[in-house]
Amino acid sequence: MKLAYYPGCVAQSSGREVDLATRWVCRALDIELVDFPSFSCCGSGFLDEANEVLNVAINARNLAIAEKAGLDLLTVCSTCTGMLTLANLRLGDPSVRARVDGALHPLGIDYKGSVKVKHLLRVLTEDVGLAAIRSKVRRPLAGMQIGAFYGCHLLRPSDEMASESGEEPKSFEELLEALGATPVYYRGRVMCCGFPVQFVKPETASKLSGRQIVDAKEHGAHAMATPCPLCHISLDAYQRQAARAVGQPLDMPVFHLPQVVGLALGATPEEMGLGRHLVPTGPALAHLAPAK
Amino acid sequence: MSDDAVSVPFDVYRFQPGKDAAPRYQRYTLELSPHTPVLTALLRIRDEVDPTLGLRYSCRSAICGSCAMQINSKSRLACETQVGPELARHGRIVVEPMRNQPVLRDLVVDQNPFWREYRKIEPHLKLDPRRPMPEGKVNPMTPAQVDRFQETPRCIACAACYSACPAVEADTAFPGPMALAKLYRFVVDPRDQQTQDRLVRIQTEGLWVCLRCHLCTEACPKHVRPSERIRDLKELAVTAQGGTEHGSRHAVGFKENIRAAGTLNELKLVRQTFGPFGMLGQMMGGLRIWRKKPEVAHRPKPIEGIAELQKIYDALEPPEGKR
Repeated sequence: MKLAYYPGCVAQSSGREVDLATRWVCRALDIELVDFPSFSCCGSGFLDEANEVLNVAINARNLAIAEKAGLDLLTVCSTCTGMLTLANLRLGDPSVRARVDGALHPLGIDYKGSVKVKHLLRVLTEDVGLAAIRSKVRRPLAGMQIGAFYGCHLLRPSDEMASESGEEPKSFEELLEALGATPVYYRGRVMCCGFPVQFVKPETASKLSGRQIVDAKEHGAHAMATPCPLCHISLDAYQRQAARAVGQPLDMPVFHLPQVVGLALGATPEEMGLGRHLVPTGPALAHLAPAK
Repeated sequence: MSDDAVSVPFDVYRFQPGKDAAPRYQRYTLELSPHTPVLTALLRIRDEVDPTLGLRYSCRSAICGSCAMQINSKSRLACETQVGPELARHGRIVVEPMRNQPVLRDLVVDQNPFWREYRKIEPHLKLDPRRPMPEGKVNPMTPAQVDRFQETPRCIACAACYSACPAVEADTAFPGPMALAKLYRFVVDPRDQQTQDRLVRIQTEGLWVCLRCHLCTEACPKHVRPSERIRDLKELAVTAQGGTEHGSRHAVGFKENIRAAGTLNELKLVRQTFGPFGMLGQMMGGLRIWRKKPEVAHRPKPIEGIAELQKIYDALEPPEGKR
């Protein structure tokens, strides 16, 4: 399998461990990643709020880069996935299409609309398949109870994302099971991490992330795992503020999706960049059953 | 009883504030066709098993908006949610009152918080008495103008969106999806003459607390898509007024941030949103992050083809003052 790799801004800067882990996992699963230094930011939902057509246009440019190379697009962020998928859909509106083409055609960019946007979670569960992943697990995550945390834009609006239920998804939990871990079901797994208002109303953001962490904890999670580096910022980097907002101590390790996959496929914590987290992941790994 | 009847366990929230010490869940098991609406089942429980069960309903046809509640944690109209799919997914049906509104009794909530927010947006056309409607023209709108708000009038005020909304849950400043979707309807109505005032007000009264999590759009039984109407409102506000407070400054800052290098400059964005002094308040948390992730302070290298990206901006982003 060969895919255009769209890491997104955070995986190239403060969330570089996502990039490390993704490349490791894709190597292990024979997925060839093609880099394009010309990809721009997806707009992260904020640009969409400021100028919808501009947001569609910059993503049409991103999609056109992959289309020219004849590749579908691999994303590793829920928000990037949402923005790029919605760009594909909104181009179906003739008035949006006309304005976007009006900006792109003079630059010699003509996006036909053929590129599929696939988050790593979808590639793993739909294209590689759980059976194949199960067969490659070298260090099962047995003993670890993990609460998946999806990130809104990977799921909703569900009629547009068209992958699974927007409120009762199960793909991530099924993947965790294939890796040998025990998935934890809790309401917060499909809720908002607070990131969209992290820089608007930090106290509201912290209350939201705090509630989801407490919810996971109360349902027995040793750790959380997320397919979205923005959720990871809220849940891990700002966990101290979240603890203050909900008035209780929190020490919830939060993994990125490719990290849990990598660990189960035999990667070391160093290879997964676990040292870059603010909340240490060691206590969660201590729950792993001894290797046979 | 139809031939395909199945046994359906219901766990129904029961609570009478002032009388019960704590809420409890009561189990009722009924033999039902999988196509039975949850409301029909609840009415059977009330009429045949337990007359003390409190619930609110009226039309049974998804028109009146009275029977919104949580069904297996999703905010839905009970009259249009069938028991079969819920049973298949969860093995039982947990029925609870809507969230974000105080419980009066069992499944009945006090909707005053929801209606208060609705009244605050002044949901009526505001005309300027000095500029009356043109004589003899009852509805001076073109079909295209009406199309801009065709979804919103479908709202039946069931409050399912309000119940589903995590921003309402976390922040009392947030008016809720329905009130904002209704506000959008008046802002784009060409007959309304106080559009700008409405936009100025809402920017400081909760518009930017929306998380765009789209849970309201999932819950809405009438496909109003409130989260998208809120997005539309934000763009109208930013286009007309630029960055005026944290939320709009962040959106505008983000836009300019990406124009510069094509990729996000995280540190610069914090400054753009909070200003140099507000940024100090972010320092402590920021330093902790920087120690583990020094890249947050790096100035990103511009993407290849940044000039191309900037030309797209120039084509679609009217320069300041020319909006």
